[in-house]
Amino acid sequence: MSHENPIPMTPVWEHEDTSRIPFWAYTDEDIHKQELEKLFYKKHWCYVGLEAEIPQPGDFKRTVIGERSVIMVRHEDNSIYVVENVCAHRGMRFCREKHGHVKSFTCPYHQWNYDLEGKLQGVPFRRGVKQDGKAKGGMPKDFKTSDHGLTKLLVATRGGVVFASFDHDVESFEDFLGPTMLSYFDRMFNGRKLTLLGYNKQRIPGNWKLMQENIKDPYHPGLLHTWFVTFGLWRADNRSELKMDEHFRHAAMISTRGSGGKDTQTTNVSSFKESMQLNDPSFLDVEVEPWWDGPTAVMMTLFPSVILQQQVNSVSTRHIQPNGHGSFDFVWTHFGYEDDTPDMTERRLRQANLFGPAGFVSADDGEVIEFSQQGFEQKPFHRSLAELGGKEIEETDHMVSETLIRGMYAYWRKVMGV
Amino acid sequence: MSDNWIETISIDDVPEDDVIGVTVNGHQIALYKVEDEIFATDNVCTHGHALLSDGFLEDGEIECPLHQGRFCIKTGKAMSEPLTEDIKAYATRMEDGQVFLKFR
Ligand code: FES
Ligand SMILES: [Fe+2]
Repeated sequence: MSHENPIPMTPVWEHEDTSRIPFWAYTDEDIHKQELEKLFYKKHWCYVGLEAEIPQPGDFKRTVIGERSVIMVRHEDNSIYVVENVCAHRGMRFCREKHGHVKSFTCPYHQWNYDLEGKLQGVPFRRGVKQDGKAKGGMPKDFKTSDHGLTKLLVATRGGVVFASFDHDVESFEDFLGPTMLSYFDRMFNGRKLTLLGYNKQRIPGNWKLMQENIKDPYHPGLLHTWFVTFGLWRADNRSELKMDEHFRHAAMISTRGSGGKDTQTTNVSSFKESMQLNDPSFLDVEVEPWWDGPTAVMMTLFPSVILQQQVNSVSTRHIQPNGHGSFDFVWTHFGYEDDTPDMTERRLRQANLFGPAGFVSADDGEVIEFSQQGFEQKPFHRSLAELGGKEIEETDHMVSETLIRGMYAYWRKVMGV
Repeated sequence: MSDNWIETISIDDVPEDDVIGVTVNGHQIALYKVEDEIFATDNVCTHGHALLSDGFLEDGEIECPLHQGRFCIKTGKAMSEPLTEDIKAYATRMEDGQVFLKFR
């Protein structure tokens, strides 16, 4: 590619496969706009939250799908609605609270009032104002409130997790996941009620896809995350599998800790830290839970909006909320299960210290994503390499592969038409 | 007349087939006149904070000007969305050209 004309007008994917990823995929604002349309607003289910966040009728949570503000709310009949946070009158993002409890929604600008399904209930001065016994002004006779509700999204709930789609023709949530991903989803959300433990929130100055890639990249944890390695959570001899749906858009990295005996080598890369000890070993007071059914860690990437994490006893959802091509908000919701003992709740909370913006482990990921974006912006005509484990896209029984990243970009190219 | 009846305004000041807002013992009250009968309810809507006396009286129901919720002026019953809560209605009587109202 010539350096005189570094940014092509219409970006072209020059390499024959997805073992090379052009930097423009992360730096082009027009590509980003198209991604929002094609990946977040059409044909995909996006994460909005947990049912446990809105336990009572009238409870709501404001969140986003892609870059659109939406509200997840529990109706009087206990079902969950998701509506767009844009007033039908003059378009204001009327809901300002992050969480709350309401009987109905009222836009502060002109007090248009909507029920919990987003139906317009009434508008001030619809019949005008009375002066000397006569009504003056107001809406025309043919104004119908039923024509002016909030935009309503399609909603799918499963195992206490809520997804929504602007696209009312989207396939079912179950078909969207596919059987393999669905089985791992159901493993984690097996019908027990979830309990909300808390949130972490961070803004990462990098392209949102880098977060998906980060959790599709089993190459890095043993190398970047010295904490993992040093204290034995990530071991080269872990039994591991990489799995995908048939479109290669979603993936799961499944691993099972070995015996964990101190006599076995953690990894031959970082063994120089073997002598280090945790001052408070309770951070790694792991208790095996029956529902794991083997794996000690399953990290699922559901394209495009969420990561579902089980890392020993710490379970969380991580919501990807883009804002522009070079930045996204990353919202962690830590949860537990209704039958957890107080001890288990403590344990989940303690282990949550590994994660989030300042987590012993996750702080590293936020930084490498930021610095990757800096590299891309610096030479947008260049490309990255994802060739570990070959150039093919296939499930594996080991972790030394970038196959999930290649898979995601094969799907991305198809949907984006590049 | 028993002590419970409170004198308000003159019958002639209540507009025909319409509503007027008055303050009685510090309470905001809406008075309605329909076919020479007088009805009284609270004047502040149970939904938004609007005065029903700015609203529209039709078929024995007062429609709130803010969000078009309708109350029955005889019983105070909430008749339509978005209302979830009835409004208080009060007994009235007419004597010596004046409207009287009873709070309980
Ligand atoms: S913009 Fe919402 S009521 Fe006017
Ligand atoms: Fe990581």
